[in-house]
Amino acid sequence: MLDTSYRVEIPGGIELEAQVVGPVPRFLAFSIDFMIRSVMLLVVGIASIPFGELGAGFWFIFWFFIEWFYPVIFEVFWRGQTPGKKTLGLSVVQDDLTPVTFGTSLVRNLLRTADFLPFFYLFGLITMVSNARFQRLGDLAAGTLVISIRETAKPAEVTEVSALAPPTSLLRTEQTALVDFLHRSQHLSKPRQEELASILDEVTHSASDNRVEKLHRIGAWFLGVR
Amino acid sequence: MDLDKLQFKASVRSGWQAIDLGFLMARDWWRPLFTMTALPATLLLLPLLLIFWENPLWAAAIVWWLKPFWERLPLYFASRRVFAEEPSEWDILRQARSVFRGDWLPWLLWRRLSFNRAFDSPVTVLEALKSKARSQRLKVLHGKHTDIALANQLVCFCCEVILALGLLTGLLFFIPDSLDLEIYDSLEKLTLAGAWIITLCYFFAMILIMPFHCMAGFALYLNRRIELEAWDIEITFRNLSQRKKQSGSSLVAGILIPVVMALAFVAQPSPALAATSHNNESAKQLIAEVLGGEDFGREEIVEKWRFINWVEQNQDKIPEWFIDLIEWWENNLELDDPAESTLTTTAFWLKVLLVGIFICLLAYLFYRFRAPLKKFSTSQSPKTAPEILFGLDLRPESLPEDVPNQVMKLWQANQPREALGLLYRASLSRLIQQHSLAFKASHTEAECAALVQSYGIQSLSYYFSQLTQVWRRLAYGHELPELGALQNLCDNWTEEMAHDPL
Repeated sequence: MLDTSYRVEIPGGIELEAQVVGPVPRFLAFSIDFMIRSVMLLVVGIASIPFGELGAGFWFIFWFFIEWFYPVIFEVFWRGQTPGKKTLGLSVVQDDLTPVTFGTSLVRNLLRTADFLPFFYLFGLITMVSNARFQRLGDLAAGTLVISIRETAKPAEVTEVSALAPPTSLLRTEQTALVDFLHRSQHLSKPRQEELASILDEVTHSASDNRVEKLHRIGAWFLGVR
Repeated sequence: MDLDKLQFKASVRSGWQAIDLGFLMARDWWRPLFTMTALPATLLLLPLLLIFWENPLWAAAIVWWLKPFWERLPLYFASRRVFAEEPSEWDILRQARSVFRGDWLPWLLWRRLSFNRAFDSPVTVLEALKSKARSQRLKVLHGKHTDIALANQLVCFCCEVILALGLLTGLLFFIPDSLDLEIYDSLEKLTLAGAWIITLCYFFAMILIMPFHCMAGFALYLNRRIELEAWDIEITFRNLSQRKKQSGSSLVAGILIPVVMALAFVAQPSPALAATSHNNESAKQLIAEVLGGEDFGREEIVEKWRFINWVEQNQDKIPEWFIDLIEWWENNLELDDPAESTLTTTAFWLKVLLVGIFICLLAYLFYRFRAPLKKFSTSQSPKTAPEILFGLDLRPESLPEDVPNQVMKLWQANQPREALGLLYRASLSRLIQQHSLAFKASHTEAECAALVQSYGIQSLSYYFSQLTQVWRRLAYGHELPELGALQNLCDNWTEEMAHDPL
């Protein structure tokens, strides 16, 4: 099975699940951060021009700090997110899904130098696609992951349908499927809904004229409509 | 198309997650996918290189322009593999003709630079839709994820460039300086050798990135179909119906659910809503109803901000202080003699500030790590020793002047517990004060005795172990010592405790 989710079992037998994030969103997040950094350097650079060589020295020190500590500071103090990662809904966590610490973040970002070789993060890209968790060298060394923390959209409320108790006991996945069937009905064509509902004819004991509606009503039951 | 065999969990993912899934596909099926991309492309590149050997960049450009076709075979393979079929080489070769045929011109002309290429090409390659049918299908598919497809296209393009330049720089890294190949020159002036190197590097980058790009688009397409056709719901419904049939098989034996899935990737031209049939009239009516509905006939008013020559309008409004600041900068820039300028003073104060910060930091560090530092300098300070062990007060202030005398007094006053307790804690206290023994608050009596033993004065350790034994018997076993033993301990106490520290 292909799967982008990453699971950790914590003491107490509870399984945590997160979605690892691949090169495309991370590349974009990096580009955004890169632009922000460039703008900061540019602004400081312009501001330091009047100070001549002193300004240049200051600018180089500033560059050093921005280059090495921009991601570290953001990752440690802003829930694992640099501005770019925040835009894309990504976050850096340790591989047991706890928040990154200063140490791990520092290792991960210092090893950018290795990932950068031989040209603009080529090694990083190659290592990222050669393991299933999309970790670059720095991630592998520090034991960190980049996961997606985008919140899922809440489905619309259902009020118009009158509920119907399910005719038989259903597993949790099946209940969710029925609720999904109700929620997504606006995006599914009528014939396709008929087709899907006809699969369950035997379970719901329904005839051809009302099978879709019947499933919708059962879905509403699971949503708490009575 | 057997949905039960789908190689990943059917669920409606976000576009980004779909792309990541595509990258996983490319990773897991890398060998066949790469072969199917690289082989046809190389087969074309080689003769082209022979023809254009004086100008190989042309060959690379032609192969690059034909990119949509190199992505077709991997796409076909993935469409089988994603339903757990393993097409043999022979199958693929047989299918290759039908896969490569079809819609050549549009893909080479106006669709060549489309930003949704990887997202759209399954419609051509797998559903074999053309012209109007295709554009209608695309309109449905493009309801979502076009932005993601664009991101995929851009990032993969960047990666291709990075990879090509990376191969190039990697190559340059490994050429020793002593070898005078003038390779930089040939790259710069694009001589024949330089052109060949660039061509090959770019070609490798292209065939390495293509499977990922193509699979990401394919995964987006699949995700869209899962959403539009509710594959996940269908799979669950089927399992449910199967489960109920098995549990109630005596009742419903022999009745089959007549569901025919007519959805197939290559053979079926109308993929989406297959199973139920409609005659033309009712279908038209239905379409008219849908089109008349709110989703299609809706009007929206969109308000946007537009840029109306802000700079020109605000030319007079540049604030005074800003002009002053710029003038100040200009004046200071022109000062040639640094000794006179404000810069030197600024630099001086900055230096003072930095040194100050450094000193403060140093002071803070000393303060922060004062305890370990102290431990480092003096091997063991009496102050860090515990003041209380097993509930006994060990501070020297709490002890009487003449300990043995006091002990005997307490014993005679019929307080044996207090008497021996005093003797024991006085001993511990003395050992800590005089011999700097490193007792810890967590030590037990036996551990204390062992520590004294390890200290190395034989008579002292013998004495202390005797004392410990007597004390433990009394403290925990409520067993009174004999008067002689206590007298003995008291008599020897002053002498034993007066040992010189080692």
